[in-house]
Parts: sequence; structure tokens; C-alpha cells
Amino acid sequence: MSLSFTHRHVLEDRMSGYELSPNANHLAVARRPAIFSVLAHAGREAAVADALSAVENISVRTVSPSDWLAVAHVAEAESIVDSLAAIEGLSFVEQGDGQVLMTISGPDVRTILAKCLAVDLHPDVFVEGQSGSMMICRVAGNLARVATDTFEIVVPRSYAGYVFDELREAGREFAMTRGFAA
Amino acid sequence: MASLITCPHCGRRPKEEFSIRGDAVPERPTPVASEEAWHAYVYLRENPRGTIREYWHHAAGCRRWLVVERDNVTHEVYAVTDARDLAKGGAA
Repeated sequence: MSLSFTHRHVLEDRMSGYELSPNANHLAVARRPAIFSVLAHAGREAAVADALSAVENISVRTVSPSDWLAVAHVAEAESIVDSLAAIEGLSFVEQGDGQVLMTISGPDVRTILAKCLAVDLHPDVFVEGQSGSMMICRVAGNLARVATDTFEIVVPRSYAGYVFDELREAGREFAMTRGFAA
Repeated sequence: MASLITCPHCGRRPKEEFSIRGDAVPERPTPVASEEAWHAYVYLRENPRGTIREYWHHAAGCRRWLVVERDNVTHEVYAVTDARDLAKGGAA
């Protein structure tokens, strides 16, 4: 991760202002996540998917049948790199400085997300632990349900400001607060 | 146009996530085929009414090429298949 990118978070300016304690509905931005783009070689998809689920300290996000994101909130990149490098038939690259990880949570989270997402997020359809790449505020990102009322969003860094503003606007009627994750 | 496409990898998704390349029916001629055959493959297209087959790219989702069989009159979608599976001789 290059120093200039991590030194100052891309959403830093949008956080300044009121110092609010989190409300029930809250949008938290991870400061320094480690996000790996992981690809399986042709024919090795199933084996790589199995091996990935055994790697510690990461959560695996589905992108396509041969393509995943490995997400870690706290950058312990070295140990994860070692674990990923040990898997056969897999190519990966660290993209933590090119992607922004946000967590949106609260009782009204589905109503908020419904304003900028066209995917059915009913708990019977999009179950806990499920994830997928989709259009989030017209930006191609990745959404994961980590708990019943908690979702994690990964969007490219260059679009993150726009997505953040849209989500904040969507959450205004529910008094959604925002801040960097502790 | 059909507004919801059931991607075989991602599930039901809005059409805004996809980009359409066009007709999936023409077969690519061999490199030594006649100029007429190549001209027809590159430039000439039928414009049928009813069931059509198209290449759709799931650009904002799994980034796979899909073959969508749909009706341009009733907007019904009959089948969505991964183009790679089709090319490798999977079930149409």
C-alpha cells in the first residue's frame, strides 16, 4: 500500500464537521482495510473456493464464479499474503488503496439501500453471509450482508466520494450518522 | 425491454447492470471464407420480430458474457446462459 494513498483517506474531508456519536443507523468507513482481488485459474475454481474459505482473518466476497474479493478490516496484509500465496491455482493482488470499504448498519438499512440499489435484499433472498457485485448508487461495487441489518460495501476509491454522498442523502430522513470505524 | 434479467451467477438483476453487444446468432466464418461471407457476418443483420438471442455483458456484476434469449414483442425472457458454457457445448 503506497504511503500517499493511506496517509490521508479519500473521504477525510467529508467526515469533518460535527463530531457525532453514532445513531442507530450508522455508516462507518474503514480506514485501512486490506482488500485482495483473487482470481482462480481455469478449472481450479472449486478447489480455490474451498481453500479460500479456510484462510484466517479474511472474509470472502463473491464477484463471479472464478473471482473473489478477500476483505480484512485491519490490515494484517503480510500473514494474509502468505496464506493466499500458498493456495495453488490462484492469482491475487492487494487493492486496499484502490477500494473503499464502508459498513452501513441500523434498523432502517434496507429502506436506505433501496433508494440506490435495485437488488432484492429481503433476508430470505439475500441471506446473511451472501455477497455479490452489483450497481450501488450507479457505481459497480460489491455488497455483502454481514448481519441481518448490517451490510458492507466495497466501491472503487475514485467513486467513493459520490457513493458516500448518495448514501448520506438517502440516510438523512433516518438521521444516519457517519464516521470512520474505530 | 425486459427490465429484470436472471443472471445464472448473480440472480435477478436490473437491466442497467448489463450492456448489450448484439445478435448472438451469426456464426463466425473460417478465415479463408469468401469475402461475401465475411461481409455478411460483419455488416448484415436480420431484424426479427419475436424471439431473439443476444450477447449481454454483465458489466456491473459478475463481468461474464451471457446469451439472453428473449422476446422483443412481449419482453419475456426465456433463457439466460453463460456464453462460455454455450461455446463449450453446454446445454442451450
